[in-house]
Amino acid sequence: MTANGQDAGNGARDAGMTGGAARDVVTLAVMTNRMEGVVRKMTNTLFRTARSTVLNTARDFSCCIVTANHEMLVMAESLPIHVISGPDTISRWLREFHPAPRRGEAFIHNSPYHGNSHAGDHCIVVPVIDDEGRQRATAVVKAHMADIGNSEPTTLMATARDVYEEGALIFPCVKIQEDYRDVEDVVRMCMSRIRVPEDWYGDYIGMIGAARVGERELLKVGEEVGWDVFDRYVADWLDYSEERMRATIRGLPAGTRTGYDIHDAVPLRGVENGVPLKVTVSVDPQAAEIEIDLRENPDCLPCGLNLTESTAVTSSLIGVFNSIEDRVPRNTGSGRAVKVLVRENCCVGIPVHPASCSMATSGIAERLAGIVQRVLAEFKDGLGMAATGPECPPAVAGLSGRDPRHGDAPFVDMMILGNSGGAGHPHGDGWMTNGETSDGGSMMRDSTEVLELLRPIRVWTDRIVPDTEGAGRFRGAPSLYIEYGPVGTELEVLYAADGTVNPALGVRGGQSGALCRPALRRADGSVQELDAWARVVLQPGESVISISSGGGGYGPPYEREVERVLHDVRDGWVTRERAFEVYGVAIGEDGELDERATAARRAELASGAAESPAAGTEAATAASAVHGSERDPVLRLTEPGARLWPGADPAA
Amino acid sequence: MRLAADTGGTFTDLVVETGEEVRLYKASTTPHEPADGILDAIALAAADAGREPADFLGSVELFIHGTTRAINAILTETTARTALLCTRGHPDMLLLREGGRTEPFNWSYGYPDPYIPRALTYEIAERVGSQGEVVQGLDEQAAVRTISRLAEDAVESVAVCLLWSIANPVHELRLGELLEQHLPGVPYTLSHALNPTLREYRRASSAAIDASLKPLMTKYLDSLEGRLRSEGFAGRLLMVTSSGGVVDAADMAAAPIHSINSGPAMAPIAGRHYAALDGLSESAVVADTGGTSYDVTLVRRGRIPVTRETWLGLEYEGHITGFPAVDVRSVGAGGGSIAWIDAGGLLHVGPQSAGADPGPVCYRRGGTQPTVTDACVTLGYIDPEYFLGGTMELDAAGALRAIEEQVATPLGLDPPEAAAAIMAVATERMVQAIEEITVNQGVDPRSAVLVGGGGAAGLNAVAIARRLGSRRVVIPQAGAVLSARGALMSDLSSEYAAAFFTGSDEFDHAGVQQALDGLRARCEQFAERNGMAHEATIEFVAEARYRHQVWQLDVRLRDGRLATAEDLALLVEDFHAIHDEVYAVRDERAVIEVVNLRARVNCPLRGGAGDTVALEQGHSSSGMRSVYFSGIGAVNAAILRLEAMAPGAQFAGPAIVESSFTTIVLNPGASAERTASGSLAVVPGALDTASAQQRSERAASR
Repeated sequence: MTANGQDAGNGARDAGMTGGAARDVVTLAVMTNRMEGVVRKMTNTLFRTARSTVLNTARDFSCCIVTANHEMLVMAESLPIHVISGPDTISRWLREFHPAPRRGEAFIHNSPYHGNSHAGDHCIVVPVIDDEGRQRATAVVKAHMADIGNSEPTTLMATARDVYEEGALIFPCVKIQEDYRDVEDVVRMCMSRIRVPEDWYGDYIGMIGAARVGERELLKVGEEVGWDVFDRYVADWLDYSEERMRATIRGLPAGTRTGYDIHDAVPLRGVENGVPLKVTVSVDPQAAEIEIDLRENPDCLPCGLNLTESTAVTSSLIGVFNSIEDRVPRNTGSGRAVKVLVRENCCVGIPVHPASCSMATSGIAERLAGIVQRVLAEFKDGLGMAATGPECPPAVAGLSGRDPRHGDAPFVDMMILGNSGGAGHPHGDGWMTNGETSDGGSMMRDSTEVLELLRPIRVWTDRIVPDTEGAGRFRGAPSLYIEYGPVGTELEVLYAADGTVNPALGVRGGQSGALCRPALRRADGSVQELDAWARVVLQPGESVISISSGGGGYGPPYEREVERVLHDVRDGWVTRERAFEVYGVAIGEDGELDERATAARRAELASGAAESPAAGTEAATAASAVHGSERDPVLRLTEPGARLWPGADPAA
Repeated sequence: MRLAADTGGTFTDLVVETGEEVRLYKASTTPHEPADGILDAIALAAADAGREPADFLGSVELFIHGTTRAINAILTETTARTALLCTRGHPDMLLLREGGRTEPFNWSYGYPDPYIPRALTYEIAERVGSQGEVVQGLDEQAAVRTISRLAEDAVESVAVCLLWSIANPVHELRLGELLEQHLPGVPYTLSHALNPTLREYRRASSAAIDASLKPLMTKYLDSLEGRLRSEGFAGRLLMVTSSGGVVDAADMAAAPIHSINSGPAMAPIAGRHYAALDGLSESAVVADTGGTSYDVTLVRRGRIPVTRETWLGLEYEGHITGFPAVDVRSVGAGGGSIAWIDAGGLLHVGPQSAGADPGPVCYRRGGTQPTVTDACVTLGYIDPEYFLGGTMELDAAGALRAIEEQVATPLGLDPPEAAAAIMAVATERMVQAIEEITVNQGVDPRSAVLVGGGGAAGLNAVAIARRLGSRRVVIPQAGAVLSARGALMSDLSSEYAAAFFTGSDEFDHAGVQQALDGLRARCEQFAERNGMAHEATIEFVAEARYRHQVWQLDVRLRDGRLATAEDLALLVEDFHAIHDEVYAVRDERAVIEVVNLRARVNCPLRGGAGDTVALEQGHSSSGMRSVYFSGIGAVNAAILRLEAMAPGAQFAGPAIVESSFTTIVLNPGASAERTASGSLAVVPGALDTASAQQRSERAASR
């Protein structure tokens, strides 16, 4: 913590004085603020003008600046999965394909085999050219498109056997602007193939605007401080970032550890049994390096779940950056201290054309980051993070149907409501609205009223479920219970959930979060379980129940501060029973702490004499109490309820 | 005579306007009994006028007050024990908010608590649908049982937010009646009545914050009014609102949420006035430099910008107020901001602040970490013997030592260069705040005049202007009390909203016009209630967007009408123009959606808004002092006295202009003139682009 600004220690003196020529400390400090400002301006331009929900609500886009030598310089608060690694490689390919770029040019890029995350992310790449015609940097804007012309109306096409079946237009650094004007041929190709051409064009204009803002601001920097000063700043900033990273690694224990996880089985060829994943992390404090080996993993899969080189490396780095203090800048400099080993033709490595990488920013990427942060946690208390709850439950779904309020007009839309799943970490409890690890919680959630206004649906319930958190010293976020259905019409719901079999794992004695549970309530009130991947057509009176995965816990639950457990019980996050069994905190019916019983139970749990019941699969607890036939007219939040699926064994 | 008193964290500022003349006073804030600080300042003013305080107060017609009371209660968690009544199935609106997070890798803290804890959240069996239809009737017996639980739980205030109460408030209204009946004397807020806006989180948050403030603000306002009356005040007491207007104290007590961001709301009004007074530029950036933060607002073509996105605490993670407020961007950089060096040797300034207590090292109140103010003392900008007009002697040696030990030595710089580096970083952070509000709104900051307010504004206003390329800086004489000055210029105003959703492809003219007429009626009632039906002006705004966008832009309706196709065509045309201006893009093909309608009624209170400044006798110059400028070194600068400077007087930097309230640094190459209104108008001169280059070369050769 540096809240009082006192982390200036000997490190500062060393860092300031080592490494050859003395650093221009003043320019470094001033320019760092300025460069972050450049990226913020790019980001804001796109956020406020974007047309599609994936951009203006989910904020599924990023902006960054890459140097003329293909180094990631600054990404500000961009979406982690997009940028930590990737834009640097894109910059290299741009040089390869267009060795002499000119001012006013812009390139569209989405090739998964040339540094991009997945084909669903379009990049606008603008080389920043000085008055002498020399390229000084590159502004990159990357955004997840609502449609890219795939063979089916989705950009996340898990079922695609290869890139041909996926069907997207692939652009490996294709020129789309010259002299600041569109190359109409390319725009026309997009408009003829992409399903929502007006929305695509609206988003494209926003991306061009953002990239041009970056270009203009960088040219101003060059004009005002001089390109030599800029270049020197770049070198200093990357060196500083590298030193910060290496200093952090020097403080870690040495060792090599391996971690595992399994992406749930999905009804696709090649992944019927799930995808087993293995990651080996070596920490060498003496060399101040971390090495992450991803090579012992399955070959490319005959479906869209493969990662790209960019997302395999980035997911590993997300795991690292989630594990260490936030003040280490994320760029090529800090990246020099972390080696990620990948191999060709691997589902978490380098995909070989024509392997499909349609889902490369989610699914396996989420699991991979989770393994890295869990493995790092095992190196040392205070480091790393538990796994976040796998995505996406049925309240993060594609909705389609006809709206009887508007003359049965057809609609297709994305609902983003059911995310939770934040993982426990060394400094606090899991983030309630975390969603994906790969976006660091930056995704927004829909409002019930907005959803009901725009579509003929009703959201009956939107609440957290007690006792679904991965218990720990710091607990994971509990599951969210969402129940929704159509009003006066049919509603088609399309979703694909991971985490109904393999939960988010805890670390250092922390427990797993609850499993994801999709279910359907019939008009007669009966409730039946749904598949993890489903396309459901709801009739009027029916509803979908979406219980998301809980996040994993960090550290043993019996070490959780008693005050926090009391708070959790008082506010209905955890029941009294679970507080005693799992956390070892005895609370009377009056809500008062029983200190003696607490000490005894905690000692028992700590010694291993008592077994702490498996966490989490109680996701059903609150369901029928909330929305069942026996509705309590005034339901206090802490009231426990009957199981959703009578007879289901939570430990099974 | 009219008074404005602004109670801040450290000082209580008082502005006295008598006809065309304006005088300024400052007294220490007395946190436990804020009325004491106000009366202290009034005593100073009375003495200055040679009158008894009671006699002086007796001749005040209008007393306008701004206070940080409500926001402080929220920050210190001393608001009322408040319950939330919500629709069954939706108890976690305040917990889940609208998602989002700003720093993806900052895991130094856990998930933030909701504004009202879940234990004090009660679900009510009822449901209204999006068309206002009652899906499930209110279970009154159950509701009464819940209310009796509130009494058992010792609840002091109640917020009610039910889904779709904006479409049909029948259940919220009935709950209000039941609360009156079964929980008499406990204040409550109904979300549809307070803030009829779409999105349940925003309405719930508004209602929760408002209800939690009711008991304490009622008490505060009663007690303040009582004290003033007993000291002889017989005029009208008005309170400053977050949206830059004023309302009667009783109205504020009824909806105290309107006071929470009132502090920064007034400076832009004064800033606009001063920019216009000297006939400057159509856009002005009004900056208010405090001890902890730097607040900036872009005033374009004389309009004070508003935002609906006002959060208490961090965006997405704090609590949204849900109300329009003057759009003020704030960065943690001010006089008290701490300079520190991270583990990698990078210099940072802020966001941590030494505040007023312990304050900068030079205040001798126990501060040990160097601040921006300490850097200014070290550079010779601030005269340690003439701070706040000499009322406080500063410890220059202590400031120098702190900078030397904690910044200069670790970085391998001389202390003056280290101090200059601190200023450069603080300046850059302030520049970034300004660029965000200008560039992001499509305004070139070079075309805007920079108005510097706050006691520390003048210390680097020239440096900021040079970095931005601004051609003109104005430091008003009342700059140090800009908020209180702005309060005297604001209108009696109220704002009403109606949620209404329709698209330009199948526009519901009748529905929209009915909603607008309803808003007009409420505005007219407000004006009539204040006896100003004739003077009042009403402004209508449609919040609109392109279909599929989620962020609305405010479009003024030219005469409050959307009844015909022609009215709609004007709205559409205006929307395209505003979108183009703000985002540099227009999409003529897209459908435009109206999401909310708002109306604001303004009743002008302005008396003489003149600014005749009483000239002090004596010399305008008080000698020379050695002052350090980066890239130049120590130079001899003229020390000038602002209050003694005749209008029209011109001079050039290097110079330091001092007054009782502020210090203005004129770098070499800058020039300035005192205007007729008492402001200092500065031409900043060009940015010294060579200095970064030289510095870089010097560093390389070491």
